[in-house]
Amino acid sequence: MKRNVAIIGGGQTHHAGRRPDVNQGELVNEAVRAALTDAQVAIDEIDAVLLGNMEFFEGTHLTDCWLVDATGALGKPGLKITTGGTVGASIVCAGVYHVASGLFDKVLCIGFEKQEEGDTGAILSAVAHPLYGRSVAGAAVGYFAMMGASYMAAWGATEVHSAMVAVKARQNACKNEYAHLRLNITIDDVLSSRMLAYPIRILDMCPASNGACALVLADQKTAEDRCAKPVWIRAMETVHNEQFEFDWRDVTTSKPMFSRVAAHNIYKRLGVQDPAQYFDVFEIYEPATWAELVWYEDLGLCPRGEGFKLIENGVTEIGGPIPVNPSGGVLSTNPIGASAMLRIWEAALQIRGDAGGRQVPKEVRRALATAYGGTNWTVLTALSKDLED
Amino acid sequence: MTLAPTLQVREFVEIPCTVDIPYRFAAGKYLSRFLVELRDNGRFLGIRCPVCKRVQLPPRIVCAVCHVRNSEWVELGLEGTLTAFTIMHLPLTDPTTGKPHKPPFCYGSVRLDGSDSVVDYFLNVEPSMRRLRVGMRMRVVLKPRESRKGDLTDILYFDPVD
Amino acid sequence: MADRVAIVAAAQTQFRPRRPEVNYAEMVLEVVEKVLDETGLELGRTIDNTVSCSHDIWDGQTISDIGITDVVGGHLGAEEKVAMDGATAVYYAAIGILSGHVHCTLCVAHTKMSQTRRNLVNNIAFDPLYTRPLGLDFTSAAALQANRYMHRYGVSERDTAKVVVQNLGNARHNPVAFRRESLTVDDVLSSPVVARPLKELDIAPDADGAVALILASEKVARGVTKTPVWVAGMGACYDAHYLGDRDLSDCFALEQAASQAYKMAGIRDPRKQIHVIELSDEFSYQELMWLEGMGICTCGHARTLIEDGATSLDGTLPVNPSGGLLAGVPTNVAGLNRVAEAVLQLLGKAQGYQVAHARTALAQGHTGICGQHHCVIILKRD
Repeated sequence: MKRNVAIIGGGQTHHAGRRPDVNQGELVNEAVRAALTDAQVAIDEIDAVLLGNMEFFEGTHLTDCWLVDATGALGKPGLKITTGGTVGASIVCAGVYHVASGLFDKVLCIGFEKQEEGDTGAILSAVAHPLYGRSVAGAAVGYFAMMGASYMAAWGATEVHSAMVAVKARQNACKNEYAHLRLNITIDDVLSSRMLAYPIRILDMCPASNGACALVLADQKTAEDRCAKPVWIRAMETVHNEQFEFDWRDVTTSKPMFSRVAAHNIYKRLGVQDPAQYFDVFEIYEPATWAELVWYEDLGLCPRGEGFKLIENGVTEIGGPIPVNPSGGVLSTNPIGASAMLRIWEAALQIRGDAGGRQVPKEVRRALATAYGGTNWTVLTALSKDLED
Repeated sequence: MTLAPTLQVREFVEIPCTVDIPYRFAAGKYLSRFLVELRDNGRFLGIRCPVCKRVQLPPRIVCAVCHVRNSEWVELGLEGTLTAFTIMHLPLTDPTTGKPHKPPFCYGSVRLDGSDSVVDYFLNVEPSMRRLRVGMRMRVVLKPRESRKGDLTDILYFDPVD
Repeated sequence: MADRVAIVAAAQTQFRPRRPEVNYAEMVLEVVEKVLDETGLELGRTIDNTVSCSHDIWDGQTISDIGITDVVGGHLGAEEKVAMDGATAVYYAAIGILSGHVHCTLCVAHTKMSQTRRNLVNNIAFDPLYTRPLGLDFTSAAALQANRYMHRYGVSERDTAKVVVQNLGNARHNPVAFRRESLTVDDVLSSPVVARPLKELDIAPDADGAVALILASEKVARGVTKTPVWVAGMGACYDAHYLGDRDLSDCFALEQAASQAYKMAGIRDPRKQIHVIELSDEFSYQELMWLEGMGICTCGHARTLIEDGATSLDGTLPVNPSGGLLAGVPTNVAGLNRVAEAVLQLLGKAQGYQVAHARTALAQGHTGICGQHHCVIILKRD
């Protein structure tokens, strides 16, 4: 029998393009303190500290070792995991294993990135094989640009649909005091913004942010004794993809996609028939607008090729029947090591009713968070208000 | 001398640091064969999985889907179909040189005849949406034999066929 | 919670100074194929997930597990990369099984030190703001630690040289080791000085290689092997980062990690209850320090253990019968190799360097500068 695990508290920094006032440790410590305060747990009570971060981004090997003071790991067990964009969720998964094992009752999970301290584009390009493709230096923007060109050619969507996703994200972010980009923009603003890599314009793409997120995970007894609003982690599903086949950008591919396989697996495990009914809110990992449309389809919220119709009809707006990314998503805030954890935290805030101005106006009992990274990797996380949900 | 109790930071120090670590990457058995063929004979070799039969590029030791060693080498055509593309406007740093390519330029994914995988590379097409189209036929243009080194940059670009 | 966790298979590549003919995937496949063949377990079917262990900066690839995804069942499968020394990967893999979420895990570590420059990679581990500009690497930092330790406890270079003589002598019988020699203390003392008191032979050499293990829950383990090796205890702990925040001759993190592991494994007298130790002797003095940190003897007295032959192959508590890291094991892989060697001892498969009647073993790995993070694993046979 597995021990149940809940998020009993969390915190995030006010994400920003520039944070010259803090070093990496101070940045992380802001989120850690916020999480401990929210959980009403002292650092001495934490049994293990787990950190997710990509060392190449900031050019420091073994960041977990450097930041022991800021993370609270000094004197405690802990480890670092590095899986790329999914790491924020991988660390939560690691936290779930730690607590469920019975060896640890309260675990601190941290994800962060101080993107301004490195050359994000170059390091993302270094995901590619050094002898096969790295010199093209397309980075993430190139990849999603190809996805966008493929999507429009395949399904007849247009750049306007991409702009609609961008507007939703940016308008939602205006209600999110923690978001990096909070832009009150219109579709015309998007369509006249600078082209980065056709068809992706600057307003269609995620930023490089400096920020951190921390969560306190606990066992059931601790959660029930000490937390007024625990958010239960019901299932997590990690699915990776082979090294060289970046097929997610070929939207018509018939190959099994990591995202669809992960959704299928987690739905099977939870007995989900209709995800749009089962989950009340979705926080998905969309480095670019086109990825959001593909996520709608891969998560089964609509048939293949019809994602753009959901945005066209306002279905995924914050007040719509299937709210997606009320937080503003990765499009608004992207400290890579934290981004996947922020999806989970924002979903948890929705369940708790603590999402402030970005709270969806309906009861939220269940939420699904997705992550994206690596060479097409994902981690899906299903959260619920009660264990009976 | 007494120090003021509150911290007044007037200057935030930023320390520049270049992380410059040299690497020597072993291509391994399969990629080595591919790169040597490319360099010496201007040929593209893919490898086929004995179970699912898909032809993979670059050649690699194991079919990740079937968990078996790939076995059959296949010579691919030097023409293929463009499956995806983009026009890059950003001067992103090429991590292999530390310098950016000059924008705007096109790159895309080409599925060479006989291959199931695509190759991403630069396209010799004017960077405008008038010319580029998913489904266009493209041809590999290699650098002359004397300038080829045995990596993917031995490809000069993909040229449209017509 | 689940029942117990066992290691049901272990495999290692030959460690060599250079393996230029293989890339990471090909090198890791060598050991993955062995553990799969040995157990009949299958990726994507009977193996639930993979825990890998490598570093972006060593591999020269952002998200270094990308390079091995294909050969560890990562395609449409679950894999996570622990970016620590390999012992911590075993620790994490065991926690996954104890959680009940997975029941059978492939655990692999790889590094090719030959592909880059160790001192530059090491230097990047120092914080960029305060210590990195000094240009230290792990060897020069270890020299500081060695000096401090040897000064505090009156340990001499002859004492540490004995560790080298013993370990490289043991390695002559270990088919995967490459630094295998019959040396004298004087041979060690006259090897070139790198950073006093560390001489070339006091330092684990660069190596390329990979190790794979399969861990399983008790239920799965019993279906796969008649001789499961139980993970009876584990512990891990971080020390402070800045060298100046520590007394480098203290083993705070190791003491904590060992204490957690002993408690879990029911060990009250490690000197008596442990039959063989495979520890991470990245530098010769560390073998002495780590033995003390694990509570095998009091501080400053490990040199007596080696002097008396207690830690030799036929001593009362053999240490590093495999030859240890000094015989040539890649960084990062080191901790997983320590566990693998301990497993071989408990299974009676350490031909030529077998410790008689070994039923309880200790494997230890460390991550970071001067062993900032330690991980201790206690293994037991039925």
